[in-house]
Amino acid sequence: MQKRNSLFYYVLVFTSAQIAWFSLLGLWIYWYVSNYVIMTKVGETVAPQIISEVSNVYALVSGLILLVLISVSMSLIFIYLTKQMNITRLYDNFIANITHELRSPLSSIQLYLETINSRNVPEDKKKEFINLMMKDADRLNKLITSILNISQLEKKHLAYNFHVFKFDPLINELINEASEQFKIKKSSVSISGNTGCRSVVDRSAIKIVINNLFDNAVKYSNGPAKLKIDLVSNDKFVILKVSDSGIGISPRDQKNIFQKFQRIYNKNITNVKGTGLGLYWAKEIIKYHGGKISVNSAGIGKGTTFTIELPIFQTAKRRRGKRLLKITRKTKQQLEASDEI
Amino acid sequence: MKSEQFKDNKILLVEDEESLAIGLEYNLSEEGFDVTLAKDGKQALYEFNSKTFDLIVLDIMIPYLDGFEVAKQIRIKDPQMPILILTARTSSEDRVKGLELGVDDYLTKPFHLEELILRIKGMLKRKMWYKSISTIDNNYKTGDIEINFEKLILTYGSKSKPLTVHEGMLLKYFIENKNRIISRKELLENVWQINSEIETRTVDTFIARLRKLMEKDPTNPAYIKSVRGAGYIFSD
Repeated sequence: MQKRNSLFYYVLVFTSAQIAWFSLLGLWIYWYVSNYVIMTKVGETVAPQIISEVSNVYALVSGLILLVLISVSMSLIFIYLTKQMNITRLYDNFIANITHELRSPLSSIQLYLETINSRNVPEDKKKEFINLMMKDADRLNKLITSILNISQLEKKHLAYNFHVFKFDPLINELINEASEQFKIKKSSVSISGNTGCRSVVDRSAIKIVINNLFDNAVKYSNGPAKLKIDLVSNDKFVILKVSDSGIGISPRDQKNIFQKFQRIYNKNITNVKGTGLGLYWAKEIIKYHGGKISVNSAGIGKGTTFTIELPIFQTAKRRRGKRLLKITRKTKQQLEASDEI
Repeated sequence: MKSEQFKDNKILLVEDEESLAIGLEYNLSEEGFDVTLAKDGKQALYEFNSKTFDLIVLDIMIPYLDGFEVAKQIRIKDPQMPILILTARTSSEDRVKGLELGVDDYLTKPFHLEELILRIKGMLKRKMWYKSISTIDNNYKTGDIEINFEKLILTYGSKSKPLTVHEGMLLKYFIENKNRIISRKELLENVWQINSEIETRTVDTFIARLRKLMEKDPTNPAYIKSVRGAGYIFSD
């Protein structure tokens, strides 16, 4: 609420500055015009040589242009600053979230080590604690990898191993893997539809996308997650629809969820942990494949559907598919060259 | 390490991180506490309303209602309940926000097990100690202000406000040492009974809150005055 107030404050200051600016401009024009009339009259009688009509009009026009330019520049700077402020706020959120995510498993590991060190812990408990520590270490590892991947993402290096895949079996495989990873019962995941198409994709990058969608479905469901997968196609794209039975997303949040570091804060949310990078990642990966990702939810409590569109290899612009395959060949060559060294 | 002194003390542990919750529950039980675990804000309030507790260990980033909201609601119902916030959020804004809501202590993750247990025991001891001394000098009256140390109620004119145990102890310490400059270090050691190296801002936050409760103009205090570079002085 405070942040919105501060934004309101900035907008108010900016608007007031603009009003003051234009009032000043108006005042100046008024002053100039009224003085011009007097000067002309006085000049006619006293010294006609001191008034040069051409230079006066030139000064007025160039003054006006200058003022308009300054005003436009101020607006541009304001827009840029507002955007920058928003990114800084989101980045602060990200740092707070990531710090929390790093500290939690670390404190758990420290707690168990101190417990084992200071108490006579029975063997069975010790085993349980060691297992919990290993889970926490794994969580830390995943988190650090995802932080390191941010720079890869910025450099657009996340997808580089493109191949032509049959879309339906690939998605079926990835869905099964994600179901296993997030411990979702097979009966809770239904897959329907058949596209019979091929597409140029990086399997591991698309796996990240699907895992993120499954992770969100689990996180934002009250009770066990249920997922419905639909495979369809049109002239140019294969379409994958992933619908969950989760708490849904309000229309306002739907606009923002693909932004970097964006997180939704809502009292209905059952899990507040996360980095705010998952869907940004998904969007960037799909964009790099030449596709689109969008979200649709009837609102809070009504589930969410993510729609992914990927170009069909046979009918879409072949040039794009070939370019992606070329990236793979190039990366492979680079890897081979570095191996030889 | 098991202590008979705290055998009947009931702790509500609010922690959503499963592995940390298991470890904390084990250690607190080993210390002789009776631990009830709540995994989110809703469950924490449900447990708080259905059972009696002696102390609450509260995480901030928990599902449904965050720790601040839980602390706020607990404070409305029980202003004296000792609350220790145990969180990974380290910013001074969060710390001040917690202390302003009336929590008694704030410990950040990762923490040392021994320190956590010492703090919990310290809070419980202070609660017991306060109960035992509060019968001696129950009421204090000066100007428009009347403080009932037994019921922990501060009456200013016609308004009555509940005090936390810490606030009550702090006021009592000030009154007992009237007209003498008291340093933050002394307050931390004698009221909080913690190492003064840790945090002096805690004292300032508590003083600010007391001033809001009992001063006509908190920015120009009449009772609890600041002494630059030295601490505070209480005078009638």
